[in-house]
Amino acid sequence: MDMTTYALIVLGVMVLFYAGAKLLKLSTEISMFIAAAAGCVAGGFGFSARHIAEGAMTYLDINLIFITATLFMNILKESGGVAFVVRGMFRRFRRQRAILLVLLTILLLIPGALTGAGSVTVLIAGGMVSTVLLGLGVPKVKTAAIVFIVAGLSAAAPPISLWAMMTAAGVNMPYVGFFWPLMLPCLVAGLLTMFILGWRGAPADLERALEELPVPPAGMNWLKIILPFVVFLGLIVVGRTWPHETVVTGLPLMFLCAALTSYVLSPQKMDLFQISQKTIEQLLPLLGTLTCVGILVQIMTLTGVRGLLAVTTVTLPVALVFATLFIILPVSEAVLMWGAAPVIGVPLILLFNTMGLNPIVALAGMSIIWPLGDALPPTAIIGRLTVDVTGYQGSYGQFLKACLIPAVIMMIIGTLMVVYSKQLGFLTGL
Amino acid sequence: MELVVTIIYYCLVGFVSVLLIYNLIKTTEWQKEVLYIIVLIPFLLRLFMLK
Repeated sequence: MDMTTYALIVLGVMVLFYAGAKLLKLSTEISMFIAAAAGCVAGGFGFSARHIAEGAMTYLDINLIFITATLFMNILKESGGVAFVVRGMFRRFRRQRAILLVLLTILLLIPGALTGAGSVTVLIAGGMVSTVLLGLGVPKVKTAAIVFIVAGLSAAAPPISLWAMMTAAGVNMPYVGFFWPLMLPCLVAGLLTMFILGWRGAPADLERALEELPVPPAGMNWLKIILPFVVFLGLIVVGRTWPHETVVTGLPLMFLCAALTSYVLSPQKMDLFQISQKTIEQLLPLLGTLTCVGILVQIMTLTGVRGLLAVTTVTLPVALVFATLFIILPVSEAVLMWGAAPVIGVPLILLFNTMGLNPIVALAGMSIIWPLGDALPPTAIIGRLTVDVTGYQGSYGQFLKACLIPAVIMMIIGTLMVVYSKQLGFLTGL
Repeated sequence: MELVVTIIYYCLVGFVSVLLIYNLIKTTEWQKEVLYIIVLIPFLLRLFMLK
C-alpha cells in the first residue's frame, strides 16, 4: 500500500469515528480524542500511550497562560473592578452615545485579548455590557450579536491570539510581529460592529439601567483597577527593554503577578481557592480542547495524515483557496474549534509562504475570520453562551441573522489581509 | 533567580493539578470526568518531571 492510500484510510477512520462520536452526542473534545485514538489504532500503532502523552503536552504552556490570565480577570470581576468600570463609564457618558460605544468596545476587547478566549469576555463583561446596551435602547438580539462578535474579535486580538499562536507553533514561526496586524482589524471590526448594530435605538430608562448594574464595593477606585495592569505591562516592558539583564518570567507568571496584585488590592475579602476552582471549571472546555487537539495533531503527524493535508492544500489552486477562505475557516472552527488552527491553518500558511505572501499578516487575517465559527453548529459554544448571558430568548436563527453584517465585514477584512499580506507587511514592524 | 522562577512554575502546575483533581472529584458528569483526566495528564507529567 502506498503512503497516500495509507494516510487516506487513517484520515477516513478518524473522520468516521469523530462523526460517530458526535452522533452519540459526545462533546467535541472527547470526540477529537476518540478520533485520535482510532487513527492511532488504524495506523498500526495500537493505543500508543507514549504518543498520547506526547501530544497532550503540546499546549501545556498555552493552557497555563489561559488559566493565569482568566484567574486575573475573574479576581478583577469578583473584586468589583469590572462593575466599577462599567458603572463609571455609563454614569459619565450615558448621554454621549458615541463615546460610550467606543468605550464599551474597548472594555469588551480587553478580557479576550488578555486571555485569548472569547468565552472569558462573555463571562466577565458580556452581562454588564448587555445591560448597558439594553439601557441605550439596543434590541436584545442586536445586543447579543454585538457581545458575540466583539467577544470573538477579542479572542483574536493581541497579545494572546490562540489561532495565531497555534498555527505559528505548527510552522515553527516565532509569535512575533503579530501585534498591529491583529490589533488594527480587531479594533476596526469591533467599532464597526458596535456602531452598525448599536447606534440606533431610543434610550430606554437610563436610570433604571444604572440601577440594574451591580454596585461595586466601597473602597474600589481606579488605582486599584489600573495597578494590576501596570504590573503586567511593567513586567513585559522590563523584559523587552533589558532582555539580557532580566530573568525570563513568561506570560503565566506575569498574569499571576497581576492577579495577585488585584487580589491584594481588592476592597472585599475573596476566597482565592474558590475563584481558582471556578476558573478551572469555566476553562475546562478550552483546556480540554487544547489538550485533545495536541493529541490529535500528534497522531495525525505520526500517521502521515497531517502531511497529506499539507501537501493537498499546498497544491490547491490559489484562487480557489482565497475565494473559499470565508467558508473553510468558520466551518473548520465550528467542527474542530481551536483544532482548526493546527489542522487547517498550518497547511494554509505553508501555502501562503511558498507563494511569497507575508505569513504573519496572512495568519492575522485568517485569525479574524476564524472566530465566526464559534456561533455555528455543531459546537457553537460561544454563540450559545452569549445567548444565555445576554438573556436573549428569541430564535437562534435570528441571532445568527443579526450577526450577518459584522460577519461579512470580518470576512472581507480577513480575506483582503490574506490577499494583500505582502503589501501590508510593514504592519509587522519586522 | 531562574531557579526561583522554575520553582514558582512547579508550584503553579501543582496548584492547578490540585484544582483539577478537586473538580474531578466534585463533578457528576462522566464526560467532564473523562475530560478532567485527559487535561490532568500533561500537568502530572510536568509536575513529576517526566516531560
